[in-house]
Amino acid sequence: MGIHLTEGKVQVMELDEAFRWYREKIIDKWVGYALETYESSSFFKNEKDKFANPVGGNTREAFSRLYTKLTLGADPGEFVAPLEQVMRIRAIQAFRPSQAVGPIHAIKHITREILEKNKETRHLVVQLYDFEFAVDLAVLAAFDLYMQCREQLYQVRIKEIKTGSFILTDSRCPSNLLKTDALEPITVLQDI
Amino acid sequence: MAVAKLEQLSKSVVQGPSLATGAIPTQDWMDVPVVFKPGNFAYQAKVEKVEYLNSQKDLNFPNAREWSPENDDWKLPEDWKEIILHGLKERLDKFRSLKIFMDCCVRCGACADKCHFFLGTGDPKNMPVMRAELLRSIYRNDFTLAGKLMGKMAGAREMTVGVLKEWFMYSYQCTECRRCSVFCPYGIDTAEVTMMLRELLHLVGVGINWILEPASNSNRTGNHMGLQPHTFKDNVDFLAEDVENLTGVKINHSFNRKGAEVLFITPSADVFAEPGLYTAMGYLALFEEIGLDYTWSTYASEGGNFGLFTNNELMKKLNGKMYAEAKRLGVKYIIGGECGHMWRVVHQYMDTMNGPADFLEVPKSSITGTVFNNAASTKMVHISEFTADLIRHNKIKLDPSRNSHVKATFHDSCNPARAMGLLDEPRYILDHVLDNWVEMPENTIREQTFCCGSGTGLNTDEIMELRMRAGLPRANAVKHVIDKYGVNTLSCVCAIDRATLTSLMNYWNPGCDVCGVSELVGNALVMKGENRQELTEGLRTLV
Ligand code: SF4
Ligand code: SF4
Repeated sequence: MGIHLTEGKVQVMELDEAFRWYREKIIDKWVGYALETYESSSFFKNEKDKFANPVGGNTREAFSRLYTKLTLGADPGEFVAPLEQVMRIRAIQAFRPSQAVGPIHAIKHITREILEKNKETRHLVVQLYDFEFAVDLAVLAAFDLYMQCREQLYQVRIKEIKTGSFILTDSRCPSNLLKTDALEPITVLQDI
Repeated sequence: MAVAKLEQLSKSVVQGPSLATGAIPTQDWMDVPVVFKPGNFAYQAKVEKVEYLNSQKDLNFPNAREWSPENDDWKLPEDWKEIILHGLKERLDKFRSLKIFMDCCVRCGACADKCHFFLGTGDPKNMPVMRAELLRSIYRNDFTLAGKLMGKMAGAREMTVGVLKEWFMYSYQCTECRRCSVFCPYGIDTAEVTMMLRELLHLVGVGINWILEPASNSNRTGNHMGLQPHTFKDNVDFLAEDVENLTGVKINHSFNRKGAEVLFITPSADVFAEPGLYTAMGYLALFEEIGLDYTWSTYASEGGNFGLFTNNELMKKLNGKMYAEAKRLGVKYIIGGECGHMWRVVHQYMDTMNGPADFLEVPKSSITGTVFNNAASTKMVHISEFTADLIRHNKIKLDPSRNSHVKATFHDSCNPARAMGLLDEPRYILDHVLDNWVEMPENTIREQTFCCGSGTGLNTDEIMELRMRAGLPRANAVKHVIDKYGVNTLSCVCAIDRATLTSLMNYWNPGCDVCGVSELVGNALVMKGENRQELTEGLRTLV
């Protein structure tokens, strides 16, 4: 029902009301945060047509769906579909695994920051445990999805080599993949 | 508290180096060096392929050597810089379009967000205007007064090894699809800028194997795969047998037959690789049904022209081969199969390179009497034009219910759509061979179609991630019609697309098949004297 105003006094909000009231603001910041991980982010942030802007459009759509699930205490199984929409994209882009998953995590901080800033909601910060736990589960699920997508990518690559739909050159022995694609050194998150 | 943590998270997430460029985006774009890592570049050409091409008459592929983009030293010739600048000068004199493209961009940005590589990577150097700027900055420096006087202030910079490496990175992150040109108010065609970049790189021995090997194979045996005439013949025979097994109609086809009315040329992938095989079966069934007097050729056994992705001399040579064969066999005209870049070359470059093909006749369908005046100069008719004309004149019987397993959408392949304007013929055919099919969103089809992401010889597996990024806008639109209408088949008229879209769907939209339009024609075709089995999956049915 939004903020209950009585004669010059701000009445405090319940947590579910706060989630509804700040929905657009939180999602906007969250989407903005995720899109800033791209070098030229302004187009990704501004263009609203999902077909002209697949990265921005899908990120926005996925985060809006996910926000609903996270704030309504949905079954974690329901996180998968919206998460997949965004992880499938980030899994094949030039990110380290941590960078690919990181933006999911950001909603915790964004929500806290917004609730803390406002008098009517400041007291709710201590009640965020369940929500933040849901975000943690979403981050874990995102990492699983990231790995699944990577594995699928390698399967696609192997299938292409095996089915010979591309037998244009003679360098198609799968063992060649091992030779040239040395594993990336693992980079540790130092600053968190 | 929370803010400080978010900042730390951002530091790790936002400021980490991008793998595509190795760049931390805080510097001017000109100062950001490219970094080559496994997965972000296609493998360099093998020594023997470059040597072979260089040994051929009229071709110039110098500096064959062992090298790798990952090494600092690319083993360029000592005078590489003079070679490049001289090469640029030559091309500026020879191609008026290049000079115009270098001069007339007003940096309005209309093209910036239209490239699928930009949309999939967010890398600013993948904006078409920036891609062209990679060359334009050198042009300004060495060929314009403003650049000579004001240098960097006028957007000029000196040619260095770093710039050359940048050219290599970004001219192979452009599929020459020409989508950007549709939106440019001046008609600047960044695809042609990419073509020039690649040509210049070849002058100093910088090229990729996935292009040079098929191109040299094509020059040697007539097709990308380097298959010899008997193998080519065996495969077509095999497909003809398959059609007979499925339909009960014996296919009478021929090879290298002098005096045939028509020479038929299609990409060799249609004859050798799934799912193109089914498209080839569609051609065989159709030509049999109408009793066309035609021949295949085991020499002009490739429609594709990887020369287009290297330099104009090789493109001319590979294109010339098709016409030489048409002349040798004494046919009246050529029908070309479902290919992409073959048509770009035929439609846009053939006439000035090898044409006009005066020894052939203006194509006239012996079945309907239609004269294809649009092909009056090149004497080559697209199979979709030819088929649509047959349908228009009621010359074939089609039963769309035979395609009831198919719920299709149609992908406009870049070259037929934007380079030859073939937009309505395939759609007209689909209207007649399917009960219904659906279009993808308007800003992703026809002239505005999104590339498969792997054209111009970028369909090699070592850059699979790049391909998936570049194909995202296309796959995203396909996903929409899958979710909304239950589409299960992506049809197209390009052999490279049939291969690349298959992998693209396998990642983005598993379960969505890819097929050629002629396959759907073959499925629906009611043949005289047929004794057809129950074909629940059309020509793909295993019996
Ligand atoms: S031709 Fe296509 S791939 Fe190349 S810059 Fe233009 S839109 Fe991008
Ligand atoms: S649309 Fe044309 S004029 Fe405008 S920036 Fe792009 S290439 Fe330049």
